[in-house]
Amino acid sequence: MVSESSQSRNGNFLQKFLKERLPVEELQHLAEKKKVPVHKHSVWYYMGGIAAVLFAIQVITGVLLMVYYVPEINSAHASILKINSQINFGWFIRSLHSWSANLMIAVVIIHLFSTYFMKAYRAPREFTWWTGLVMLVVCLAFGFTGYLLPWDDVSFFATKIGLDVASKIPAIGGLIAYMLRGGDIVSQATISRFFMIHVAVLPLVTLAVLGAHMFFIQVHGIAEPAFFKKLPEEKRKYEKFFPEFMFKDILVWLLAANVLFVLTMLWPWGIGPEADPFAAAPLGIKPEWYFLAPFQFLKLIPPMVGPIEGELFGIILMSLVGLGFVLVPIYDTGVSESRSKISTAFGTFVLLGVILFSLWGALS
Amino acid sequence: MNYPLWVVPDLGGSWVIGIISIIHIFISHFAVGGGIYLAFAEQLAYKRKDERIYNFLKSHSRFFVLLTTVAGAVTGVGIWFSVSLVSPDGIASLIQCFTLAWAEEYLFFVAELATAFAYYYTWDRISREQHLLLARLYAIFSVFTLVIINGVLTFMLTPGKWLSSHWWFDGVFNPTYFPSLAIRLLIMLAIAGMYALVTCTRIEEPKFRTFMVRYCAKWLLPVFLLGPVCMLWFLSQVPHSVLGTIFTGIQNSGVGNFSILARALYISLVLSGTILLFAFFGPFLNPRGFTFKVAILFMICGFAATGTTEWMREMLRKPYVVYNYIYSNGIHKDEIEKIADEGFLHRGKWSTALTAATPTDEFHNGEIVFRYQCMACHTEKGYRSMKKLLGQRDEQAIISFLQILRERDPQKNNYSNIMPPLAANDAEMKSLAKYLASINTDEREKNTAHRSPASDHSISMK
Ligand code: HEC
Ligand code: HEM
Repeated sequence: MVSESSQSRNGNFLQKFLKERLPVEELQHLAEKKKVPVHKHSVWYYMGGIAAVLFAIQVITGVLLMVYYVPEINSAHASILKINSQINFGWFIRSLHSWSANLMIAVVIIHLFSTYFMKAYRAPREFTWWTGLVMLVVCLAFGFTGYLLPWDDVSFFATKIGLDVASKIPAIGGLIAYMLRGGDIVSQATISRFFMIHVAVLPLVTLAVLGAHMFFIQVHGIAEPAFFKKLPEEKRKYEKFFPEFMFKDILVWLLAANVLFVLTMLWPWGIGPEADPFAAAPLGIKPEWYFLAPFQFLKLIPPMVGPIEGELFGIILMSLVGLGFVLVPIYDTGVSESRSKISTAFGTFVLLGVILFSLWGALS
Repeated sequence: MNYPLWVVPDLGGSWVIGIISIIHIFISHFAVGGGIYLAFAEQLAYKRKDERIYNFLKSHSRFFVLLTTVAGAVTGVGIWFSVSLVSPDGIASLIQCFTLAWAEEYLFFVAELATAFAYYYTWDRISREQHLLLARLYAIFSVFTLVIINGVLTFMLTPGKWLSSHWWFDGVFNPTYFPSLAIRLLIMLAIAGMYALVTCTRIEEPKFRTFMVRYCAKWLLPVFLLGPVCMLWFLSQVPHSVLGTIFTGIQNSGVGNFSILARALYISLVLSGTILLFAFFGPFLNPRGFTFKVAILFMICGFAATGTTEWMREMLRKPYVVYNYIYSNGIHKDEIEKIADEGFLHRGKWSTALTAATPTDEFHNGEIVFRYQCMACHTEKGYRSMKKLLGQRDEQAIISFLQILRERDPQKNNYSNIMPPLAANDAEMKSLAKYLASINTDEREKNTAHRSPASDHSISMK
């Protein structure tokens, strides 16, 4: 709220000016009506907002990087080197983009699991949940396509391996991998496709899906966890979205931006040697941390599981887990206590599995 | 050289000192600023005859006195302890320069402690006028501890006229003394306000709470209004070569050794800006939503800002302990030439003793040289590790590197802004190279085995 002293005559003029032209009062009314439950798990309500801020940072830094980046097989690596060492503050923009990408994926994963365990996917919020899932896939796709662009040693091989795995998907896998690669090998065609997907397709998809996500949140309000709903009326504390929650949101964004900034400053993003498609893969090559869990999982499966090829078996298993996340709002509607417990158990199992396999992959 | 050294693996001794110091600096700044805050707030209570403020101050001062006296004393002793173990030769010189100042510092500290306890135990036991007097006395003593220690800290960066006169007065009242005093006082007020904000979140009554939260938030204003001016004043007194290092860093941050200084500067600026915004959107605009948790986050921001700013100040004077006089490894600048002729190991009492039994063991002698001359900033395999920094250099390449490092002429030694020149005769240099070459053997081997002969990248391969 504006303090009394600052509501000077100028302020009043500005307010009047805006009120006559924009639906200020309606918006303010809307924001004041929305309320945020206050309980011991309230921290998680900030995660979506942090993800949104990081996404905004990605858009801005990404546009700036496009000024100097060249998506051409002989110049890509050199153009990144130039951004890192010759362009004023180029290293800074690039490090921001890389760090923010990683933080964003981390925050989105935390957001997913926190909404999952608070059971915010239940009716009427199924669409919020599904659009969220699409956002996760989009984020991972951002990561996968962006990783190739510097065209350095590890990014080249990680992409090659990643696409090889994708081609194992029954029926459509081969075709998808072929189209993404633009042929049988990772080459100029791959850079062009990945670049186009990374800077044009995915941002547009994000805007649309994120818009829908936000719209649904606005329509349904913030979900109240079951234990909170059961509290007697007088014990249920709320905070107005505006101004209390929003000002705190701003503080949290500030802090998130600072974490990002300090990481960027202390550990600027490096770049490996230029990719050499004809060389052998460097020893012990690993994908980015957010693909480590499936990577490690696939590695553990024997070459043949019964009559099925090992990798295919792994892919099917992981798809089933994904399907579980898609179907959970239909399965656990909040009516049946046992279904609710099973969903929580499933989520815990997957979360622990992801953490375990990621650590395993990182350490081996 | 003259004293035994404490080897801290991986982390490095400088980080041990650094971590303790940053905590100590935060607490001591908080003690001084808090002293001023208590005096002013008590005056406010006295003027307004407001019991609520008195009650607030009583609960506020409980934890305050406990924290500043106990944690302040423990970390203060911790600094002395760790410094004398990690860099005994450097601290020996500092003590010799300022025996008198250290003694006075100690006196004021004792006086500060005594008034702090008197202040706390006489709440409601003596008249309000008398208690206010005690509060003011406490504020004055704590400011005086700053007045002295600030002299020593600034001396290290800008010894100024002391370098020729060697008069302690010139050393204490050196070129950056007053700007630094001003900046520190401003920061102290801000930290005091931040801490009082934490206590404010405990106030139940909404109206009074809003009043106090806004009052405390205002303690951050001075540093934002006057801080930048004082900072420029400070920088104008710093040697040009030091500023040069910052600006080279600004031009090519992200690459090169110098850039860390510029990057630390950015962090410090951005964190300070964050605190300003935080104070505005948090306690000022939204006093009701300013909860305990948020206040703690705010404190953490303050801690991070203080930490990086002090870290930057420390780095500014690298590679010296006392600028242009003693290097970080305790070697005096004007000794280097003599050491290059006569040798290093026999100059110090302890290093002589360590090498006496094994005069021909090159590896062992090299390790001793490394410990006394390089370990102030490097570790073998951990922080700023020799293993990484030497990279794939073999013994011959290391000798060429050390030959450059031994040059006293900055034109020939491009490391002169970040490292002290190597002070050693030829034999000692060769010993050092032998020792160093044993650290990075795996790095060299990695080079030859970098690529695997197999070309199968399928991940299901076993
Ligand atoms: C005042 C602190 C300090 C001291 C003392 C010091 N160094 Fe350094 N040294 C540094 C810094 C700072 C760097 C740059 C580190 C970086 O790039 O991350 C560095 C870098 C290096 C490098 C890498 C240089 C390059 O070209 O990449 C080597 C090798 C090295 N130091 C060896 C030594 C040796 C040997 C000694 C002891 C004779 C020594 N240092 C003493 C601070 C110091
Ligand atoms: C870039 C990615 C994403 C952004 C920017 C984003 C943004 C947001 C924001 C701002 C909110 C409201 C505040 C909050 O509760 O945190 C929210 C709520 C929500 N999000 Fe996301 N989100 C993203 C991805 C996801 C994902 C991956 C999921 C899970 C599949 C998801 C599921 C939900 C759900 C169910 C809610 C409603 C929570 C409630 O009402 O308490 N979102 N999201």
